[in-house]
Amino acid sequence: MNELNINIEKGTSLTQDAFIRLRKNKMAMIGLCILIFFIAIALLTPLIAPYTYEGQNLELGATSPSQQHWLGTDVLGRDQLTRIMYGSRVSLMVGFIATAVALLIGVLWGATAGFLGGRVDAIMMRIVDALYALPFTIFIILLTVIFGSSMLLLFLAIGAVEWLTMARIVRGQVLTIKRQEFVEAAITMGLSPWQIITRHLIPNVLGPIIVYTTLTIPSVILLESFLSFLGLGIQPPQSSWGSLISGGTETMEEYPWLLVFPGLALSLTLFSLNFLGDGLRDALDPRASKD
Amino acid sequence: MLSVKNLRVVFNTRNGTTVAVDDLSFELNAGEVLGIVGESGSGKSVACYSLLGLIPMPPGKIEKGSAEFLEQDLLRMNEAELRKIRGHKISMIFQDPMTSLNPYMRVVDQLMESVQEHHPVSRKEARQRAINALNEVGIRDVEVRIDDYPHQFSGGMRQRVMIAMALITEPQLLIADEPTTALDVTVQAQILTLIKNLQKTRNLAVIFITHDLGVAAQMANHILVMEKGKVVEQGTTEQIFKTPTQAYTQKLLSAVLTTAKPTASLAEITEPPFLQIKQLKTYFPQFGGAFIKRLISVVKGVDDISLTINRGEILGVVGESGSGKSTLGRSIMRLVDAQSGEILLEGKDLRTFSLHELQKSRRDFQMIFQDPYASLNPRMTVFDALAEPLLIHGLATDENVLTQVNQLMDDVGLDRRFIRKYPHEFSGGQRQRIAIARAIALKPKLIIADEPVSALDVTIRAQILALLLELTRKHRLTMLFISHDMSVVRYLCDRVVVMQNGKLVEEGATEQLFAAPKEVYTQQLLAAIPRL
Repeated sequence: MNELNINIEKGTSLTQDAFIRLRKNKMAMIGLCILIFFIAIALLTPLIAPYTYEGQNLELGATSPSQQHWLGTDVLGRDQLTRIMYGSRVSLMVGFIATAVALLIGVLWGATAGFLGGRVDAIMMRIVDALYALPFTIFIILLTVIFGSSMLLLFLAIGAVEWLTMARIVRGQVLTIKRQEFVEAAITMGLSPWQIITRHLIPNVLGPIIVYTTLTIPSVILLESFLSFLGLGIQPPQSSWGSLISGGTETMEEYPWLLVFPGLALSLTLFSLNFLGDGLRDALDPRASKD
Repeated sequence: MLSVKNLRVVFNTRNGTTVAVDDLSFELNAGEVLGIVGESGSGKSVACYSLLGLIPMPPGKIEKGSAEFLEQDLLRMNEAELRKIRGHKISMIFQDPMTSLNPYMRVVDQLMESVQEHHPVSRKEARQRAINALNEVGIRDVEVRIDDYPHQFSGGMRQRVMIAMALITEPQLLIADEPTTALDVTVQAQILTLIKNLQKTRNLAVIFITHDLGVAAQMANHILVMEKGKVVEQGTTEQIFKTPTQAYTQKLLSAVLTTAKPTASLAEITEPPFLQIKQLKTYFPQFGGAFIKRLISVVKGVDDISLTINRGEILGVVGESGSGKSTLGRSIMRLVDAQSGEILLEGKDLRTFSLHELQKSRRDFQMIFQDPYASLNPRMTVFDALAEPLLIHGLATDENVLTQVNQLMDDVGLDRRFIRKYPHEFSGGQRQRIAIARAIALKPKLIIADEPVSALDVTIRAQILALLLELTRKHRLTMLFISHDMSVVRYLCDRVVVMQNGKLVEEGATEQLFAAPKEVYTQQLLAAIPRL
């Protein structure tokens, strides 16, 4: 109970508190370090990559890891390490930006629908249902036909589907807490609906939001490879983790390293995200033990 | 019959070992009623649960002691042996009859299950016993109602079913854990009489766990007072109430409110009246139907109520659950929308305000809620919770908000050092102080307090009531005080209105109403208060 004499004058906000608690969580910190490492590599790739991502060596063909090619080469003789590094740029960007878009729209949409309730809620959630019912593949093909292929469209397409589930989760959570007395107390204090949603409701549904976010990022990364296959997003010879993994599965009996290494990169990201997510969830809940 | 010696129960948690029950000894003979009284956390329930192996182990652990029941030590029994005793020789009644009955099982099946578990009888015989048991606890039309599900019974009826279930196996010892705490006063009086009668006719031994000294006085021959896991005092009921020797017992007894309001009324009559409610109606339409919604019924929460509160007055609103007293408070706060009527605060009708006007004028009327555990945002520190209303209404700037919050903390008797703590780090009483501080932060003219002390222990309750009295004087507050507890209302309020089924039954100055209630319903309410 030494927080009695910590700095009463300045005090700590919830986010500062959370950061202090997060730092004590070893697994979360390891996860954070791995993520930062991956992001740093992705940013520095053009400077540090040993080869170019499209440079082929057809004579060499697929080779297992060696001195010259640490993670081996693919069937066209392209350096696997380089391709994974370039791939991380696309995959992490898609993963984080598309998830951020989904998060922003989904949380605000869900919280607003849940809090206002009644007719507004019914209309907002029917819109979500309608979008859910749209066949995703057809939606994507339509987009590509009309707008052609671009990264921006990729974010848009992924964002357009991923926020739906988030909105439903947040709405459900908000429905359960909006009848609690502290929300009514906020109403009686004269807070506007917007202030209540942002100050009282969203902070109290952070737990499920964070958990779902950490699950969304890897699924978005894999979704990208599917979209690229349909022609939206990146095109060969550019690489992404998703396309490397799907390429690797085709040749996994002959050249397993083509599947193992990109798969490893994705799994490590996923684990780090999960540990960080769990850590954040606990850190943001003042009721979790503080010893 | 039951002899407990030196019982010690501990809980091993991450933060160290907590002693829940320490060195508890008592004896109980057939036909006796032992009342165990204490505040929450005193270990009174844990002690009884551990006798029957009903505490989770680990983290719980019975460190030492013995409990001889009919020449067998309960604490040395394994689970299979205990199961033969539980629900057979020793039965229990719990506080909340809704959660202790299985909502998916017919009442008759639940009763028959416990009969057949312990007696080798046919289904027909078991059903007959179930009918007899329900008859005995005073359920009407048993033949029809026996096939109902628990939710089809009212709270008091459900508790009767629980009692029938506890007694159907013909136990020798009955453990009743706060069996009437969740019930209305008039229902509580009926259930207590029922338990008392059954105890006499069957010559049962009963352990009656309660926080309510009045109930204990009415039920028990012997009383055992517990505090923080230890026995403070034990003796016959008369000894404990007439000549308590320990300071804690005296404190508990003095916290029971039997007196009238200690200070004079500060009410002043103004024109227009401070708060005037005219023909207020708050209805809740109930919709049904599979495809097309249609109106099936209307629940009349507040049904045509008119009343006036003068400036500086504390008006009590009493009634049982479902009487509409909370709906009245919430309608005035505009947390629910009234159907029709006027709510005139200093002559202005709150019902005509636009959303924006309402948000701005809300600083004039504030609310204190019942449950201090739910009414504070768990992710806001005390500082944030108290600073929020001040900053939003522009009553403080970023520079002087800390000073103002500190002042509020002083006002409600909270230590300034706790300002950066979160609600879960406080006790129930302290949390209610935070909630009160938040309500008075905006210097409101009117405070609506909805059962603000019902969730608190008796000694804490007395402190909070004293605080409310002091604050209303200091800040010249007007208060609408909603409560089901007649003694609390008598202590605090200048004037009282009695509500039943959404309607106003009786109205009058507090002492007048208590001395000479005119309406039958008011008389019933007053008669149902357990007395020391």
